[in-house]
Amino acid sequence: MSATLAPSTSVARPPSRTLLAVLRRGLLDHRRALLSWGGPLAFMSALMAAMWPSIEGSMDQLMESYPAQLKEAFNIRELTSVEAYIDAEMLSLLIPLAVAFLAVRVIVRALAGAEERGYLDIVLTTPISRRTLVAGACGVAAAIVAAVLAIVTALTWLAGLVAGADPSLVVLARGMANVWPLALFFAGVAVLATGWLHSGGPVTAIAAATLLGMYVLDLLGKLADPIEPLRALSVFKYYGSAIQDGIDPLAFAGITFAAVALAVAGALLFERRDVL
Amino acid sequence: MPAPQRVARIGAVTAVIELDRLTKRYGAARGIEDVTMTVERGEVFGFLGPNGAGKTTTIRTFLDLLHPTGGSARIFGLDSHRDRAAIHARLGNLPGDFAYEPRLRGRELLEYLAQARGLDGLGRAAELAERFQADLDRPLGELSRGNRQKIGLVQAALHDPELLVLDEPTGGLDPLMQEAFLDFVAEQRQRGRTVFLSSHELDEVERCCDRVGIIREGRLVAVEDVEEVTRRAYRHVTLEFAARVDPDEFRRLPGVIDLVPDGRTLTFKATGDLDPVIKAAARHTVTDIELVRPTLEEVFLTYYGAPA
Repeated sequence: MSATLAPSTSVARPPSRTLLAVLRRGLLDHRRALLSWGGPLAFMSALMAAMWPSIEGSMDQLMESYPAQLKEAFNIRELTSVEAYIDAEMLSLLIPLAVAFLAVRVIVRALAGAEERGYLDIVLTTPISRRTLVAGACGVAAAIVAAVLAIVTALTWLAGLVAGADPSLVVLARGMANVWPLALFFAGVAVLATGWLHSGGPVTAIAAATLLGMYVLDLLGKLADPIEPLRALSVFKYYGSAIQDGIDPLAFAGITFAAVALAVAGALLFERRDVL
Repeated sequence: MPAPQRVARIGAVTAVIELDRLTKRYGAARGIEDVTMTVERGEVFGFLGPNGAGKTTTIRTFLDLLHPTGGSARIFGLDSHRDRAAIHARLGNLPGDFAYEPRLRGRELLEYLAQARGLDGLGRAAELAERFQADLDRPLGELSRGNRQKIGLVQAALHDPELLVLDEPTGGLDPLMQEAFLDFVAEQRQRGRTVFLSSHELDEVERCCDRVGIIREGRLVAVEDVEEVTRRAYRHVTLEFAARVDPDEFRRLPGVIDLVPDGRTLTFKATGDLDPVIKAAARHTVTDIELVRPTLEEVFLTYYGAPA
């Protein structure tokens, strides 16, 4: 009997091939996020760009009415261009927090959330390894975040163009691109939490609390001198304003490296723990 | 170990699953303790036990989803942890509570798993889907448990694996599909495939398994041939005589227990050799005799010390 036994038609694929399968499935699973997350953010940002020509004249007055600390906290210097307006209204708070939370959601859905719902048993008994699964989840998060930011950039630019605000696509794009490593940093936090936790809720809570905690710490550090040294503990300190200052390559690479380091540490822990 | 030596070792292996004192504890809570057994190539092995006995923990430990606290597991002669990718390429797994993203259609799930397994198409999926009447075109979340389970069976076997690990595979299946499943398992055996099947459906195990392992409170209490278990176990004996006989004549016989006289009829259980019972009965005029082998369920309950 065993002499005539044909081998299984399945083969142990190289990790790059199984990674492609995980990436493809993950991108398909999250395709709706482009609409559900990219849509509202792009709509708001496009609205701001379209409004710019009608409010441009009152900006000096508005700037004078803002307290100095508020301007410092939200990195508002001069509202003399549509790009600076988008920076102040969208890129100082809403887009970074929303897109970072999206990245966390992608990680949670693929790992701890899937484990909680019992989906990982069939995936992890194929040649897909745990490391590949984590790498795939991070790749999907990176791609989805990039796609959402691209949609927001494109629609903002288009709305500004139609409204006569004449935004610079390059300046807008670099402002949006600067959010990408920040979002991946919190995806890395979620992967790290997955190294210990078996369900999606606690992982989301930890990553979201880290996100808000770091944001608030950075904000308070700008407002209160005694807290200022603690800003070094917040990734938002290194985020800056790419619209006004351009992308800081060191900060961009450093945050990306930190995100990768967190994800690698999480993957190693995930590999060593039980999948419940 | 260099690759060529390892390949040579794989070629010589006839045991597909080897568990050696496999232990899994969850902190202070019990999981499984010192589970040792071997499942041979081409065998259909039934793994029996009530809910919470440790069936799923055993399976998930040798599939490397849980890390053992002690002992080891080898599949196809390979280390269940170190060589997991090579092992998983050759097995198919149906978890006890099969579920996946509810929005996904069965076909999309199968495409994903087929790609992960390096198949060009969907392998045997179409044939298996037809056999189990699985609907591949509806979202999994819209399917009943039984219909989802059919998708689960298809995904486990689409790559024609050498080893099928099935945890409670017939849960939710209607009787017709249960029959189809038993036919499928029989066919796997004929083709030399190995099936490890956990169940608490004793009738199912009795009908399709070669051997059975019984796990109780995390410990393997017996591994037996199914035929041997039922053969060695007691029989229900009913003897009807032409006239009333002295029950003590039979009660004294070796292996006779639970004797109940009822007029000209004696009912009892007989273990071991039946020769003394037959010879004692032959001294009287017997009008009817009935020997009934116990079901596996009764044997199972015997192992558990509960009344059969």
